[in-house]
This record gives sequence, structure tokens and C-alpha cells, in this order.
Amino acid sequence: MKILVTGAGGFLGKSIVERLLAHGENDVRCMLRDTTKAKGLETIAAKYPAAKLEFVSVNLRNPSEISKALAGCSMVIHAAAALKGSPAEMFLDSVVASRNLLEAVANELRAIRIVLVSSFGTMGVADLPRGAMVDERTPMEQHPELRDVYSHTKLRQEQLFWEYRAKYGFELIVLRPGVIYGPGGGHFSNRVGLSLFGRFLHLGGNNLLPLTYVDNCAEAIVVAALAGTDGEIYNVIDDDLVTSKQYLAAYKKQVKKVKSVPVPYVALMWGSRMVERYSARSKGQLPAIFTPYKTRAMWGGNQFSNARLKSIGWRPLLSTREGMDRAFAAFRAEPEKTK
Amino acid sequence: MAPCTLKRMPVLRELRIGIIGCGKIADGHAEVVKYLDGATLAAVCDREPLLAEQLAVRYGAGAWYGDVGEMLARERLDVVHITTPPGVHLALTQQCVAAGAHVFLEKPLALTAKESKALIDAVVAGGRQMTINYWPNFDPPAMQFKRMLADGTLGDPVHVEAFIGYDLAGAYGQALMSDPGHWVHRLPGKLFQNMMDHIFNRIVPLFPDVEPEVHAFAYKRREAVRGDGTDALLDELRVFLRGGNVSAYGSLCSHARPVANTLKVYGTRATVEVDFNNRTVVTSASQKYPSAVGRLIPPVQMASRYAAEAKKNLGQFRRHEFHFFAGMSKLLELFYDSIRRDAPPPISYSEILRVADVMDRVIEQAYPAQVEEDAR
Repeated sequence: MKILVTGAGGFLGKSIVERLLAHGENDVRCMLRDTTKAKGLETIAAKYPAAKLEFVSVNLRNPSEISKALAGCSMVIHAAAALKGSPAEMFLDSVVASRNLLEAVANELRAIRIVLVSSFGTMGVADLPRGAMVDERTPMEQHPELRDVYSHTKLRQEQLFWEYRAKYGFELIVLRPGVIYGPGGGHFSNRVGLSLFGRFLHLGGNNLLPLTYVDNCAEAIVVAALAGTDGEIYNVIDDDLVTSKQYLAAYKKQVKKVKSVPVPYVALMWGSRMVERYSARSKGQLPAIFTPYKTRAMWGGNQFSNARLKSIGWRPLLSTREGMDRAFAAFRAEPEKTK
Repeated sequence: MAPCTLKRMPVLRELRIGIIGCGKIADGHAEVVKYLDGATLAAVCDREPLLAEQLAVRYGAGAWYGDVGEMLARERLDVVHITTPPGVHLALTQQCVAAGAHVFLEKPLALTAKESKALIDAVVAGGRQMTINYWPNFDPPAMQFKRMLADGTLGDPVHVEAFIGYDLAGAYGQALMSDPGHWVHRLPGKLFQNMMDHIFNRIVPLFPDVEPEVHAFAYKRREAVRGDGTDALLDELRVFLRGGNVSAYGSLCSHARPVANTLKVYGTRATVEVDFNNRTVVTSASQKYPSAVGRLIPPVQMASRYAAEAKKNLGQFRRHEFHFFAGMSKLLELFYDSIRRDAPPPISYSEILRVADVMDRVIEQAYPAQVEEDAR
């Protein structure tokens, strides 16, 4: 079976390719925008003698480039998405790009099974009580305009996939990873906190972090791709999750000192109300980077379940403790990427 | 007991605003319109409906469209902001004017001065108004400078230096450099054409109304060769101009740091430097006292002038007058007001065309082969 992986050169994409090869899926076509990233994939492929990797350079913004990449494929794992840029660019690279891919899939004569790497950000958690369980039954976000642009793009992207599935009837599996971490990734999710004026504001407190180590997440995607049920959603989080406070403490111990200031949730909510009011009163002189809605969604604190993922046979390759040890060892050796 | 008097704000006729082109800069327009009194963002349009949708959802626009004709037919818009690449500005303007809308256009106005003139002619013939988004010229420091010029503080301009920095790795630059198919690469004057309005729209109003001498020199400073469409883009531009008794030097600089944005005007009475990024307008101090003691005083004077600017800026911030796009808010206030009163627009059409003429001549010199090819 030939499998196309979009975003194959990215942080998660490379791991997905490796896990496919580890599962004996040797016929993998890697879609990249920047072919210089193929080198890392070739290094991975060298570990699997039977691997048959192909590389295609495609910009998903251009519909005419896509059909050649789809030719002969029975499955598409769509991991390409924009993590930064202006809102318009992020919509182009996540939503418009997905629509272009879906149009190409709809035009194919063969049945293609689609696996979408979506996000926790698509779920509407702002109105859940603190500590509520977040799982695949959690409704989708109703007010994307009140969240961050990334969540908005991922929500619209996932909606498109469901709309096209309803219209064209292809098989669709959706995975919603929590915070993907690991060597080469960001050091801190916003769920832990934000750097502001030379201090790290620790906003996550004792909230559980929905972590998934990059290889565990890739394994989940591949297991769901091969054994998941059509039309199902699988949330991806590891076992033995740590709290934000535990993550920060371990980071300080194993990576470097961080001048952090803990901000209790009550204070954060009060500050968020003030920021939102000021932004409105000043007619947007300062952006409302904190609002009560965003704060509830990001730092409200929830429980998480990976039971559905486990029901199809997924098991994490590494424990959270081992994953953090590996990530922190890599962070010690590499400077933090600026966002 | 004294009679109680209530100060009433004038009631502004509500204008229905539309946006065509929902790319990056459209966010700035939507953000400004959202907070302007007497204006409602009624609809947005992009040939990619998903882009129109996201802008409408994020800014609460009443409707979104993938077809300009449909939007114009349904929405009865008073003003349309055209924020597309310039190659389609003329056609879209004609369409909007035919539908009875006034137009507010992003720079550059069109691909050539000739096309710019056709665009303005279409607006005039349709009995509508237009202006172009020369927003930095309406930012608080630019308005302060205009007052100084009007009250004679500077005397007559002798020489002008306009400097625009550009960061090829910045938010806009990265979008451009990471995509060889980006529309800026297809402009005859590439990056310069997209940016140099902001150089010459500061110089031209200070020149007498004669055809200026224009000597342009451009080159590529970055060394990387990518083997794609980005390689043809030059990144450093220097232009010398003279019109009557006034000379000017304009620069677009992609490598100097910090990325500056300044205007310095040497006048017969005083020299003033406007810093658009730091929002300061400072008159150069001169040595009035002799010898070494005399040289001690000007830096102190300059320090006190900058301190006064800092105080002024704090006051503006406190009064909520310090927005990033404060200049666009001011320009739109003036433009919408000219529409409501059927008065002349805030930027004269002759000034816009003079800027377009200078740009044509710079492009001819910076990219001669490209211009010849386009002419063929």
C-alpha cells in the first residue's frame, strides 16, 4: 500500500514516516515543501532496508501540483499545517491547502483512506467546568473567533474534512493530539506559560498537561491509520501525565534555570478581564492577548482520556518520564526556538 | 443655577464598508474599521472564499463573498477597500465605481503611472472619490510634522531624506522570500514597487510641482542563491531626486539595523527628523555659543527634546491615541468625512500621480530589462 504523508519533513511528519516504516509500511511518499528536509528522512530510511521512500515537492496552496502526489496512493496522512504566520497565511496553509487536497482526493477514481492530524484546539473546552473530562465526545469549538488563530484554522480544517467525507464518502480517521513535545520541538507549550518582559509567567499551575511525546503521537497516528474505524476521532495523549508545575520543575532541574513567576488561576482570570476591558475601551490600542474565554480554554484545567486510542491497540512507546528525559536532554543541547 | 449644557457629538452618516482581498493587510483595514465611528464592516470578499470567511468570522463582518459582482450587487456598499495585489486594482475600481461605491486602495495604486491615471480618471468620471493608503503620512508624528511645515518652523525645504528599512526575515519579508510565486515577485519593480510609495509620498509634497530629476541605483546585497524566482529580487535601493530648489535622497534598505523608518527635512530655518517607528519629531539643535562650552549644550537640548517627545507619546497612549494603525484611522476618518461632505479627498489626485510618475522612473532604472520586456 502506497501511503502519502503531507508535512513529512516537519517535527511530527518525520516521526510518522519512521513509525510507518517500523510497522512494515515501506512504500511511503513524503510530501515536502522544502526538499532540503528530505535529508533527515533519508537518514531515517537508512535504518529500514526495505524502505521505499519517495519525495515529492508540492505546495498545497497550488491545486495543480497535488494530483501527481496522490497518484497510486491508497492512504493519505495529512500532517501539514501552519504553526505561525499571519492569520491569512495560516488559513492558506492549513485550511485552503486542506481544501485543495480534498478536492484532489475527491477527483481520484480509487478509494483513498484519509487520516487527518487535527488538534485539541478544535474542541470547545472554554465552557466546561474546571477539571471536566475532555474526550472525543467533547463538542467542537463554537466560537473560534474568541480563541487563537491556530485553533481557528485547525477547527475549520477538521470541519472541511467532515464536510467532504459527508459529500464524497471516503474513509476518514481524525486524530486530535494534545501538546506534542520532543527533541526538535518547542520547550514550552502555552499551557505551561508565556515569556513576558524577561520573566516566564507560569500560568498552568497544577493543571494536567495533555502531553504526547512526538514518537508516541506518531505511533498513535499510524495505529489509527492502519486499525482505526472509519469516521472515528481519537484524542492523543500519553499515560502518566504530569502537571504544568511538575513539567516546569523538571525543566529547571534538567535543562536550565528559568526565572518564573507563578500566576494563580484566580489572578489570571482577573487579569484577563482587565486586559479584555482595556483593549475594548482603548479601541484595540493593545491587543486582547488574554481574555476570560481564552484563559478558560487554555488554563482552565481538564482531565483527559486516551481510552479510545488504547481500544485499537495503541500503547505509548515511551512513558512520559522517559519522554521528558529525552526531550530535556535534547533541549540542553539546542537553543530554544523563537516563536 | 447655571443651565446644564450637554456636549453632543455630531451624528455621522453610517457608511457601509466592504473589503476586497482578504490577505494579510486586510486585517489592518478590518481592525481600523471595527473601531471607527460611523462605519460598519458590511461585507468582505476574496476569490478564495475560505479567506473571506475567516476575515468575516474574526471581525464580525455581516457577510462574505467569493465574487465581487455578487457582493457589490447585494450589499449596497458606500466604500470598498481594495487590498488585492495592484495588478487588478484598475479593473476592481471600475467595477466598484460602476456599483456606486467610493474606493480606498492599498499601495501601490497600479502597475504603472499610466494605469494609475486611468484608475483615477475612472473614479472621477463615475462621480466617486478615491484615496490610497498612505497611512504613515497620517500617523501622529507625520501630522505633527505637517503642522510644523505649515507654521513655518522649518522655513523652506532645501533637502529631504526619506529612509525605509525592510526586514526580509520579518513577517512580511518571510512570506515574500519563502514563496517564489508571491505576487510581489511578478511586479515590474518587485519589492521596491511594493514599498517605495512610502518613500516618495513623503518627498513629493515637499517638491515644487515640476518634473523632478530622478537617478536610481539598485543592487542585491544578500549573497544566497536559491535557484528560484526570489533570486531576481534586488534588495537595496538609493534614489537621488531634484525638483527646482529642493533635492532629496530616498533609500529602501533591507540590511541595515534597526529597521528604520524616518524622514529628515533640512529647511532654511530648521532641520527636523521624523521617526515613524519611535514616533518622535525632533528639531536639530544648533550651536549658539562659542568654543567647547558651546558644544556641550546641543546634546543636552536634544536630550530634553526627546524627553518631551516621550512625554507626548505617553500622553497619547494614556488617551488611547497610540494605536499601531493610528495613521490609517486618521486617514479613513478624513476620507469618510470627505465622502459624507462631498469635499476634496485627503490626498490630492495630482500628488498620487506625481508619486506614481517617480516610481515609474525608478523602476525603469532599477529593472531596465524587466521594463523593456513588459513593454514588448
